[in-house]
Amino acid sequence: MNNNIKFINFFNGHKFFAAVYLFFFLFIILPVFYIFANTFLFDNSLVSNIKQLDKNTFLLLLNSSIVAFVVSLFATFIGSVLGFLLYKTNLKYKGFFKILFLIPLLISPYILAVAWKDFFSVFFQNAKIISSYFGVVLVQVFIYTPLAMIIVGNAFTNIDAHLEESGLLITNVKDVILKIELPLIKPAIFSSFVLIFIFTISGFSVPAFFGIRVFTTEIFTQFSAFYNHSLAILQSFLLVAVCVFLLLTESKYISNASFLSVGSKGTNKKLFPSNNTHILFLTIWFLISVILPFITLVVQSFSKGTSDIIKAFDLLESAVGNSIGFALLASALIVIVGFVAAYYSNTQTKSSSNFFDWSLLIVFTIPSIVFGIALIKFYNRVVFNFIYSGYAIIVIAYVGKFSFIASKIIGNAIKQIPQSLDEAAQIEGISFYSRIKNILLPLILPGIFASFIIGFIFSFGELGTTIMVYPPGKEIMPIKVFTIMANAPLALTSSMTLIVLSVTIFMIAILYSVSKIFMKNYGFYND
Amino acid sequence: MKTILSVISILLIIFINGCSNNRNEVVVYTSVDQVFSEPVLKDFEQQTGIKVKALYDTEETKSTGVLNRIIAEKNNPQCDLFWSGDPVRAIVLKNKNISFPYNSKDAEDINPVYRDPENYWTGFSARARVLIYNKKLLEEKDVPQSVFDLTNKKLKGKFAIANPLFGTTTFHIAALFTLLGDEKAKQFLADLKKNKVVIATSNGDVKKRVMQGEVFCGLTDTDDAFEAAKEDTNIGFVFLDQNGIGSLVIPNTVNLIKKSPNQNNAKLLFDFLLSKKTEAKLAKLCAQMPLHKGVQVPKDVPSLDNIVPMKINFDETATELEKIQPFLKKWLNN
Repeated sequence: MNNNIKFINFFNGHKFFAAVYLFFFLFIILPVFYIFANTFLFDNSLVSNIKQLDKNTFLLLLNSSIVAFVVSLFATFIGSVLGFLLYKTNLKYKGFFKILFLIPLLISPYILAVAWKDFFSVFFQNAKIISSYFGVVLVQVFIYTPLAMIIVGNAFTNIDAHLEESGLLITNVKDVILKIELPLIKPAIFSSFVLIFIFTISGFSVPAFFGIRVFTTEIFTQFSAFYNHSLAILQSFLLVAVCVFLLLTESKYISNASFLSVGSKGTNKKLFPSNNTHILFLTIWFLISVILPFITLVVQSFSKGTSDIIKAFDLLESAVGNSIGFALLASALIVIVGFVAAYYSNTQTKSSSNFFDWSLLIVFTIPSIVFGIALIKFYNRVVFNFIYSGYAIIVIAYVGKFSFIASKIIGNAIKQIPQSLDEAAQIEGISFYSRIKNILLPLILPGIFASFIIGFIFSFGELGTTIMVYPPGKEIMPIKVFTIMANAPLALTSSMTLIVLSVTIFMIAILYSVSKIFMKNYGFYND
Repeated sequence: MKTILSVISILLIIFINGCSNNRNEVVVYTSVDQVFSEPVLKDFEQQTGIKVKALYDTEETKSTGVLNRIIAEKNNPQCDLFWSGDPVRAIVLKNKNISFPYNSKDAEDINPVYRDPENYWTGFSARARVLIYNKKLLEEKDVPQSVFDLTNKKLKGKFAIANPLFGTTTFHIAALFTLLGDEKAKQFLADLKKNKVVIATSNGDVKKRVMQGEVFCGLTDTDDAFEAAKEDTNIGFVFLDQNGIGSLVIPNTVNLIKKSPNQNNAKLLFDFLLSKKTEAKLAKLCAQMPLHKGVQVPKDVPSLDNIVPMKINFDETATELEKIQPFLKKWLNN
């Protein structure tokens, strides 16, 4: 009760925050609760559907959890090594590697799976080996390793150099890394593991492409072969439960972790010397995870000269503006929602902020197709036609899917700001919004920009929910690629993928440059 | 802060108002590949001046995304007309009471086999199930001529079918169940399993696996087979069971959605899709076989007159399909 009063008081005093919270609750949370409530409370088939959740269902969930566990383990391990090498050593060209290593994260998982399968077919004349659990794990490890690299790498950046220097006075580098650095970045490693686990267990494209049965393909089968939406939603609930359970277990680490934190202000970075083995490892990883699929795409795109690239450009030209516009708008809203959630979480008591946090997490966790169905069932009514028949539904879908990540990035940026700054300003009688605008926002600018860019990347490439809600007659890049690729020659599909990839990288470069200018003005150096 | 919020608000208003309220339009959802359906819809726009708002499906969702969307939108339909690549989805909509009957004058000379007896859906331009094979791996004399030849040990682990829970493959198997009866059909599937059938994710994947030499042959649809033969001269295809049960012929289908906003325009598009002009276009674009007599088609497009079709009733087959799906799921997962 006490928490509820605090919650109401907080939003009573902060109208803008209340408006953002209300927006998120009404536009995004309500549709999800609506379909869960419908399934559990008003669906006549609930009992028969529950009966279908037999031993095999749970075994499949276990099987998917094992796949997700293996992917998370490998991706986090390799990402941690990459994070150390790129953020904590004096390697040359590490800035270049940091950006290039992100490429697998920028390509749609489905396209990357296609590229890898084609690679095995073209160069080994055998794609059987990759159409297996091995392929599912391999491709997803490549996709999510960059995520672990960013999370763990930034945690390394935030280690206080004085601790390392003190350690080096009494022992060697190896001991400092193992006994001082590793325990300090443990929460980030857990965070990375958990986030990758959630991405993998709720991912559909890669296992579906390789024909491997996992829990999400089972949910999809209920939707698409049996048209049993209620059972599919019930199964999704189990998936969400697993993720929530995992996060509850690890919440200790998450809440204290420098999770997805960015920027390097306030720390004196201690850089360890690099050697040839480090460079060799980076080069090998670069060749395998970036160059091989990229070459496969390029070889296929230009297999008949430039005609396919030109055709691909003609096909995608009309969709470029729309896609960039939606992704930019969604990223701005994602940052706002993420900021409000993060601010509330970090300044209020844990229990009262739980609802917002868990709501963000649940929407992030549920399979895209289920979120799409939730939005359709909620918004597809005459009164909401202005949302459902227009572009707003796409923006709502993006904001719902990715605000969780933004809240975590910004949350950790806020954690690094001493509360005494805000308290001092408060004593001086500076108003709430002035403190936010003039003190907090400038200090967490790197986190804000990182959320914006990551929000843009994910929104720009989102497919699963968009395919369910995009308005007829409108064109959006990933949708266009996927609707065309169904029966298009391989060369055309690869060409379209290359164009999407180029546009993404171009936009990231622009956003990165803009952020650099802004941050320089505020005295940050961007790493 | 205020500036940023103002910009976002303006963008929001622009995007929200991005939806036009132009009512001289028709909204069509289609599971037919965009590369083939879009040119036809553009022709309709040019001929009538009616704006077509189309929603296409993706291979990733096994072309069931739009159907799921129509079902989810049931209470406030946005879609006026559904153009499906096979009758199964059309029958699903009929059974779920989402479509309504329409008797098009352009359907008069279409064989009643390819029309719903109550006019809930009407077929046009058909594909057929064929066996696609790699000439480098399979000599002409060894090419299977019957679907039952796939149980031959010579092909052990060297032939593919798409996931039998989806698309035309599921319909093909349901058709076999109606023709052979449960016992024989189940035995046939067990024999396929014993002969290590490779399960591809889609018909397109079957095509790709045959082209890349991963398997010798596989079952797919004529449009995939034609595309493959066009891309690679080492690819051939045959209509199966021409001396037996015949090849499964699968028409495109069109149905109208109940309570949709542009029903008059939808009827015009319905008629247009059933016209000889559309059939000629689809024959040219993806070698689909016209159901009307006397349609001009390219030389390499076969005529339904020269193919022995499987004699099935689409409604019965769709009912059978629903019945056997749990069995197919088990068969697939074991």
